[in-house]
Amino acid sequence: MRYLKIENNQVLYLNSDEEWETIDKIDKNILLYLLNKIIEEDEFEMDEYKEALIGNKAHQIIYKNIYEKFNNLINDKTRFQDESRELYRDAFEKYQVES
Amino acid sequence: MTLAAQIFLNSTVVQRRIHLKKIDLHIHTIPTISDAPFEFSIKKLKEYTEKQKIDCIAITNHNKFDLSQYNEIVSNLDIIVFPGIEINLENGHLLLISDNDELDDFTSKCQEIERLIQYKEDNINVEKLKEIFPNLTKYILIPHYDKKPSLNKEAIHNLTDYIKAGEVSSIKKFIYRLKDSNSLVPVVFSDCRLTNETTNFPTKQTYIDLNAISFDGLKLCLNDKNKIALSEDDGNKLFQVTNNLYISTGLTVILGERSSGKTYTLETIKKENFNVKYIEQFSLLKKDEKSFNNKISTQKDKITEEYLAPFKKIVEDINDIDIEKNHRQIEQYISSLLKYATETETADNFSKCIMYNENKFNIKDLNNLKKIIDSTLILIENNEYSEIIELHLNKDNLKKLLIDLIKTLHKEHETILKQNWLNSLINDIKTTLHTHSSQTSVEEINLYKIILDNKKIEKFNTIVDFLKNEKEIYKEDIGKFQIVGKTQKYKGAQHLKSKSSSTWAFSNAFSKYNSPYYYLQELKKISENFAPTEYYKYFIDIEYKILNNFGFEVSGGERAEFNLLNEIKDALKHDIFLIDEPESSFDNLFLKNEVNKLLKELSQKIPIVIVTHNNTVGASIKPDYVLYTKREFINDNIEYKIYSGYPSDKKLKCNNSEIDNYLVFIDCLEAGENSYNERRKDLYEILKD
Repeated sequence: MRYLKIENNQVLYLNSDEEWETIDKIDKNILLYLLNKIIEEDEFEMDEYKEALIGNKAHQIIYKNIYEKFNNLINDKTRFQDESRELYRDAFEKYQVES
Repeated sequence: MTLAAQIFLNSTVVQRRIHLKKIDLHIHTIPTISDAPFEFSIKKLKEYTEKQKIDCIAITNHNKFDLSQYNEIVSNLDIIVFPGIEINLENGHLLLISDNDELDDFTSKCQEIERLIQYKEDNINVEKLKEIFPNLTKYILIPHYDKKPSLNKEAIHNLTDYIKAGEVSSIKKFIYRLKDSNSLVPVVFSDCRLTNETTNFPTKQTYIDLNAISFDGLKLCLNDKNKIALSEDDGNKLFQVTNNLYISTGLTVILGERSSGKTYTLETIKKENFNVKYIEQFSLLKKDEKSFNNKISTQKDKITEEYLAPFKKIVEDINDIDIEKNHRQIEQYISSLLKYATETETADNFSKCIMYNENKFNIKDLNNLKKIIDSTLILIENNEYSEIIELHLNKDNLKKLLIDLIKTLHKEHETILKQNWLNSLINDIKTTLHTHSSQTSVEEINLYKIILDNKKIEKFNTIVDFLKNEKEIYKEDIGKFQIVGKTQKYKGAQHLKSKSSSTWAFSNAFSKYNSPYYYLQELKKISENFAPTEYYKYFIDIEYKILNNFGFEVSGGERAEFNLLNEIKDALKHDIFLIDEPESSFDNLFLKNEVNKLLKELSQKIPIVIVTHNNTVGASIKPDYVLYTKREFINDNIEYKIYSGYPSDKKLKCNNSEIDNYLVFIDCLEAGENSYNERRKDLYEILKD
């Protein structure tokens, strides 16, 4: 599913009500929401950052920064999944079996 | 069958030896760096050897031999004194004893040891020992064997041609080593330091079967378990426990009227010996329910800790996570980013640089890769299951995999080093650019860490939920009892408070008990004296209960029974076990069915002394040795005497006095012959009919 897109020289994000908002409205709750989507969804999609397609200068700066960070996170997703699986595994198995 | 007949049936024939000599080959006369300070008294040494009737001693100071002091001791004592030294050898101690004919040579060799061992922690190895004493066959070598610091097995093995006897620290260990065919010949010595203040002389010496003391004769005896003994007349059946008293290496019963000195005798044994377990009269009944439960809980702390050990680590990890701080960071990042984006028109040459807002590299954790390498290595090296491993995995491929994984690890490691270096560079450049520009900079943020922290909290909450499912985690049978450990949720703030044994208020924390992460945050606020390493204990409680054979919680009387069984179990950690009137706490059936059986079994492993008035204990337990304490009026003076003998002896003896053994039993255990006969005829036989 696509959560960030470039349209009409603007960058838009999809909020939790599945409505598109311009990226200058983004706040910490939206960022956390998008973070969770990256981790939870196998099909998390976002438009590639292309400066030429974004006329709004402020949108350019915000999206460039967020895009890079999200992209790094997507690249690290396998590592994150491995690490999460290993996280407290012994204790998890011990207490789960006994519960 | 009469009581007397019973006693005679259990008789043991005592072989008397006539040539036994008493030796103590471990005596300190000089305070060295390995000793606490003391002022040696030659007068006391003389008194000690005379009073304890010792035939031969050796002077064995730590890594030192003083010839002039040795000569002085020899001239003052009327017994044979051998020169010796106690050497720090491979972190253990070794007694090396020489004949007394080459004293100058022995002195110069000991000086070499003294030169090499200057500090308490210094040691020499077996090779060095052999270099200093090239002809070890000339000496008697006795290592600390079942005694701390003991000489390691490898060193003993390397000296196997020269070491035949080993020093042990207690009679219990002596008996164990004597019975064990693979053990060295056990010996007990005093290891004493005699000063003018010494009042009670040591009782740890060994007898050897030797006509006349000679170095070679001594050496031969120490090669043979049949030639050593703990007592002069009774072989290894008895040993000296205090200055005036011998008891059985098995089970000794002390009988006697009230105020005849029975408890005093036990207390003297306790005072004059190390590592003694002593159960005082009525002590098993004294423990009320709370102290009883506390005692059980203390014993079970280890089990609780073991059970919660993996959880403890998690709590420590979660304790470092500050979710509020993470949220603040996101907020700061977003607001600084939005602000920076709106300030494009005021951008200067510095803020226009890419490096102005450059992010640091997120450094990878290589733990997972390391775990895979370790696992691959296990698959390659495991012999036990190699067949099944090779059935599915080709070993050559595994080796190739290992090489590739290690190469990847090196590569990743190199990348991390580079990234760390670059992060430091980025930081320097950014700091410099920020100082030259008035434009807002975008705050740093590590999104990976934030989502990982969230995941950790999620798993932590799930694990706490698992833990809160109440269940049995421990079960142990002791006699007819069962100790059961069960997890339980905390019931309220008071429950938490009582767990902490403090005056801290837990009500705020308990209000969050169902949200583990936030509950932990509240625990942190309780007191600065509340150690974070203790937080893990406040998520679930583990309660231990003692159940009887019907599965119900024990009653007061049963608690005493359990206490006794538990104490008996604990006694094995000690060297002598003393118990004063077990009948004061129990009924006869329990004594006969459980206590007697346990004590008898235990006495195969550790010397036991029981004071009793009870015929179930005193006679049915079939003691190995009997002491009878008696208060006698002699010329208007009170004298306390201890008669002793085997249950099969007709008379118990105390110096030149004798007393009828049968009457002692009848008087002490059956309140006299008449009462015994009356009870037998009037009560028992009527009951029987």
